[in-house]
Amino acid sequence: MILLALLEARARHGYELAKLIESESDKKLQFHVASLYPMLYRLERKGLVEGRWVEKAGERRRRFYRLTAQGRRALAQQRRNWREFAQALNRLTGFNHA
Amino acid sequence: MPDWRAYARGRLPRLRVPPERENEIVAELALQLDQAFAEALAGGASEADALRRAEAQFADWPALAREIDAAEARLAAQLEPSRGGALAGCWHDLRYAVRFFRRNPGFAAIATITLAFGIGGNTAVFTMVDAVALRSLPYHDPGQLTAIETRKAQQPELEPWTSASDLQDMRARTGAFSAIAGISPMWNVVLTGLGDAQRLTALYVSADFFPLLGVNPAVGRGFRPDEDNGAQTSHVVMLSYSYWQRQFGGRANAVGKSLALDNALYTVIGVLPAAFRYEGEPLAGTAEEIDVWLPLSANPIVPSPRGLRFLKVVARLKPGVSPEQSGHQLRALAAALAEKYPGTNRGFAFYVQPLRAQVNGRFRVAMLLLLGTAGFVLLMACANVANLLLARAAVRHKEIAVRVALGASRFRLLRQLFTESLCLASAGGILGLAVAFAGLKLLIAAAPASLVRAQDVRLDIRALAFACIAVWLCAIAAGLPPAWRTVRADIEAALRESGRGLTAGHHRLRATLVVAQVAAALALLASAGLLVRSFQRLLDVDPGFQARNLLTISTQIPQAANTPAGRTAMYRLIRDRLLAVPGVVDVAAVSRLPLMGMNLSTWIFVEGKSTPGEPGADVEYRAATPSYFSTMRIPLRAGRIFDDRDDANAASITLINETMARKFWPGGDPVGKRIKLGDHPAQAPWITVVGVVGDVRHVGIDTQPLPEMYRAYAADPLGSPMLVIRTATDPKPLVSALSAKVRSVSAEVPAYNVWLMQDLVDRSTAQRRFVMWLLSAFALTALLLAVVGVYGAVAQSVTQRTPEIGLRMALGASPAAALRLALGQGIRLAAVGIAIGAAAAVGLAQLMRKMLFEVQPLDPVAFTAAALALAVCAALASYVPARKAARIEPLAALRR
Repeated sequence: MILLALLEARARHGYELAKLIESESDKKLQFHVASLYPMLYRLERKGLVEGRWVEKAGERRRRFYRLTAQGRRALAQQRRNWREFAQALNRLTGFNHA
Repeated sequence: MPDWRAYARGRLPRLRVPPERENEIVAELALQLDQAFAEALAGGASEADALRRAEAQFADWPALAREIDAAEARLAAQLEPSRGGALAGCWHDLRYAVRFFRRNPGFAAIATITLAFGIGGNTAVFTMVDAVALRSLPYHDPGQLTAIETRKAQQPELEPWTSASDLQDMRARTGAFSAIAGISPMWNVVLTGLGDAQRLTALYVSADFFPLLGVNPAVGRGFRPDEDNGAQTSHVVMLSYSYWQRQFGGRANAVGKSLALDNALYTVIGVLPAAFRYEGEPLAGTAEEIDVWLPLSANPIVPSPRGLRFLKVVARLKPGVSPEQSGHQLRALAAALAEKYPGTNRGFAFYVQPLRAQVNGRFRVAMLLLLGTAGFVLLMACANVANLLLARAAVRHKEIAVRVALGASRFRLLRQLFTESLCLASAGGILGLAVAFAGLKLLIAAAPASLVRAQDVRLDIRALAFACIAVWLCAIAAGLPPAWRTVRADIEAALRESGRGLTAGHHRLRATLVVAQVAAALALLASAGLLVRSFQRLLDVDPGFQARNLLTISTQIPQAANTPAGRTAMYRLIRDRLLAVPGVVDVAAVSRLPLMGMNLSTWIFVEGKSTPGEPGADVEYRAATPSYFSTMRIPLRAGRIFDDRDDANAASITLINETMARKFWPGGDPVGKRIKLGDHPAQAPWITVVGVVGDVRHVGIDTQPLPEMYRAYAADPLGSPMLVIRTATDPKPLVSALSAKVRSVSAEVPAYNVWLMQDLVDRSTAQRRFVMWLLSAFALTALLLAVVGVYGAVAQSVTQRTPEIGLRMALGASPAAALRLALGQGIRLAAVGIAIGAAAAVGLAQLMRKMLFEVQPLDPVAFTAAALALAVCAALASYVPARKAARIEPLAALRR
C-alpha cells in the first residue's frame, strides 16, 4: 500500500522511493532496500505498477515506476480497508485521531 | 568511482529470468548503489565510508536473488506455463519451509511427532476397520451373496444354525436362489499314514459351495454334484493352500494321493487358492485355519433328525431377485414346515441377510465408533499443532508484516504458510506410516481372533490412500486457521511499530482450540468410562459354572447303536475311557452347552398354572447326565440332583433352574411341583420337579438366563452328546489325547467342536474388552493432548502478559494473586470445555447405548469421573506456568 500511495502523484524511480519511505515516516518505518526491488517487481508482475527506462536531459537513464489503472483501483480499495480498520480501532481504543 | 554495474553483476547469483530482463535488474541495482555512494560523498563522508554505506544496502545477495526470482516467477508462469513456473514457486515455498524448520528444530520435531501419532494411529485403526467392517467380501459378485439363518422368534440373539433337512427343503421349495450351500461346524479329523497322526481342522461343505462363491481351485478340481448327493459317501477331499504347502511342499502331484482321515481313505482332488478364506464363520467368534474341505454328505451327522440344527447356510440370489422376495419365500417355507413338523419347527423362522452383514454386522457399530474416536483424536492433534503454529506466528509477525506492507499478496503468504503445514503433515504422514505399521501389529495381537484373524489385515493401497487424505486434512486443519489468522492480523498490524495488537486475535483462536480440545477429551473420557463400567459389570457376572479346567468335545452316537439302551451304553463306554486318562477328574454329557450358540426349547404345561387348550409356556430344554452339575460346578439351590438310582423312573423327574422356579412358583418351593411336556398335556405323563439348580448364562455372559429344565440322561439318551470333561490342571495339553480317546470307541464316533470352556467365556467378552481398551487408550491420548493444549495456552499468555503482571506486582499485587490470575485462566478454559464436552458426551452415550451393559448412558459415575479427571489435569497443567507468573520480578518484567 505504501508503494502504491507514493506512486499515486507521479512516477518515481527506486532510489527516490526508498528515500521517501524513510523520510516521510520520520524513519519510523525501516526496511532494507533489498526488499524494495523484489517488491516493485512483484507489483509490476501483478500489473499494479509499470516500470519504464527514462532518459532526461542532463540526467542519466533511470527506471521510473508509475501506477497503472489497476494499481489505482487496488490503492483505493486498500485505502478503504485501512480506513475501516482505523475507524474500528479508534472506536475500540477511544482515540479520536488515528 | 567503482564500476557498480560490474560490482552488482559479480555478486548477484544468476536469476531465473530471460537475459535481457536480468540485465535490466542488474542496471537498476547498480543505479541504487551508485546513488547511495554519491549521496554519502556529497554528505561529507570519506570515500571508504561512502563505499561501505553503499555496499551495506545489499548485504545478502543470494537472498536478494531468491526474492527477485520469486517476484518474477509470476512472469515466468505467465510466459511459459509449460515450464512449470507455478511449480517453481511451490519449490521456492518448499525450500523456504524446510529452512524455517531447520531454524526451529524443536518446534518441527514436536509438531511432526504429534501428527505422526495422530495419522499413524488413525491409519492403523482405519486398516482394521476397513478389513473388518467396510470392505466387500473377496468373492465373485459379493452383493448377491446372502446368509440364511434359522432363528427362534423369541430369541433372535441365538446363533442361527439350520438343520440338514431344512436345507434340503430350502433347495427344493424356493426359487429365489441360484445355489444354496450348507457349511458344517468345525470338525476335527485325524490324519494317519503320513508320519505321526495329525489332528486337522475340517469343514464339510456342499458341492456348490465353491462355485457359489466364485472360487476356482488353484490345482485340480472342486467337488462334483454327484460327490455330494447323499446317495453314497464320496471319499474326496480338497486341501487348503497352506496345508498343501505344509504337507506336500506345494507339489502338483498331491492331487490323486490318498489321505487316511478318521480311518477312511480320501482322494485329494484339488487345492484351494492361497488367498481363499471363508469369511462367514463356522462358529461365530472363532476363526481357525481350515486344513481340509470335505463334501457335506460325508459328514457323519448329516443324516440326523430335523431337530438337530448344525449348519450355516450361504446362498446366491438369482439375478433380478431382491432380498425381500427371497425373504418372503423363505418365510412361507418356514410356516409350511412348522405346520408339517411342529415338533421340530414350530416357532422357528428363516431369515435372509447379506452375507457381509452376517460376517461383520456384530462389529460394525463398535468399529465405526473406534474410527470416529480415532478421527477425533487426530483433530485434537491438529489443534495442538495449530496452537504451536500460532505461537510461532506471534514470533514471525514482523517478517510477515513487512512482506505484506510492501505488497506481498495474501494468497502468496497463505500459500507459503500452508506449504509449511503441509511439510509438517507430510513428515508426520511418513513417520505415521511407521507408527501405523507398529500400531497395526499391536492391534492384531490385542484384537480378539474372531475380529482380525479371519480377515486379511495389513497396510495396503487403501491404507496408504487414507494416510494421504489424513495428511491433507491435517495440513488444512492445523495449518489454515493459523495461517489465515496470521495473514489477516499482520495486514492490520503492518504499519505499527509493535505487533502486540495481533496477539489478541491469536489468543482468541488459541482459546477456542483449547476449549474444543477439552470438550472432545471429555466426550471421549466419558464414553470410555461408560465402556469400562460396562465391562466391570460384565466381569462381575457369574456365568453360573466354573470354566477353568473344563473342556468340551461334541460327538455322535453311530446309527448302529441308535437305541436308547445302545446310546446309554456307548456314552458310558466313552465316559469310562475318558475317565481313565490321567488328569481327568469328571466327565458328563449334556444336549446343549452354554456359550456354544446352540439351543433347544420345549413347551410345558404347569400344574395349577397352565390352562388346558392354551399354548404351553416356552422353556429351555436340556438332557444331562447326573454328573453334569458337579462337572460344571453348577450349584444345587433346593431339592436334589439326579443320581443313577433314578434310571428306572428317570422319565418322571426333572431339575429346573432358578429363573424357571421364580417364573412359575414365585416365592414358593417348586420341589415336588409337577409339569407336563409338549402340546398335548392330556396325553403326556406328569414330571415332578426334584431340584432347583443355579442359573447359567447360556446364550452369552451379557444375556439374562432363560427358564431352563434339565431332564435325566436316562430319560432321553442323547444321539449327539456334548461331552464336558473337568481336568485337574490346564486341559490344553490333553486336547489331542482326549479327542483320540473319544474316537477310539468306534471308527464311526467323531470328535468335533473341541473347545476349552474358558475360551468360550473369553470369546463372549473379547470384543467388549478390545473396544474398551482401544477407546480408553484413545481417551487417554485425548486427555494428554487437551492437557498439553491448556498448558500451552496458559504458558503463552503468561509470557505475553509478563509486563502487565510485573506492573500489577509493582503496584502491590501479591505473587498469590499472579498465581490465581494464570491458574484462573486455565481453569476457565477447562470449565467451558468440560461444559460443552458434557453436552457432546450425552449425545455420544446415546449412540453407544447398544454397547453398554447394565450401565445407563447417563451414568453419573462415568461422567463425574471424566469431568473430575479433566479438571484436575487442566489445573495441574495451568499450575506450572502459573507458578512462573508468581515468580515474575516486577522490575525485570517492566524493563522488557
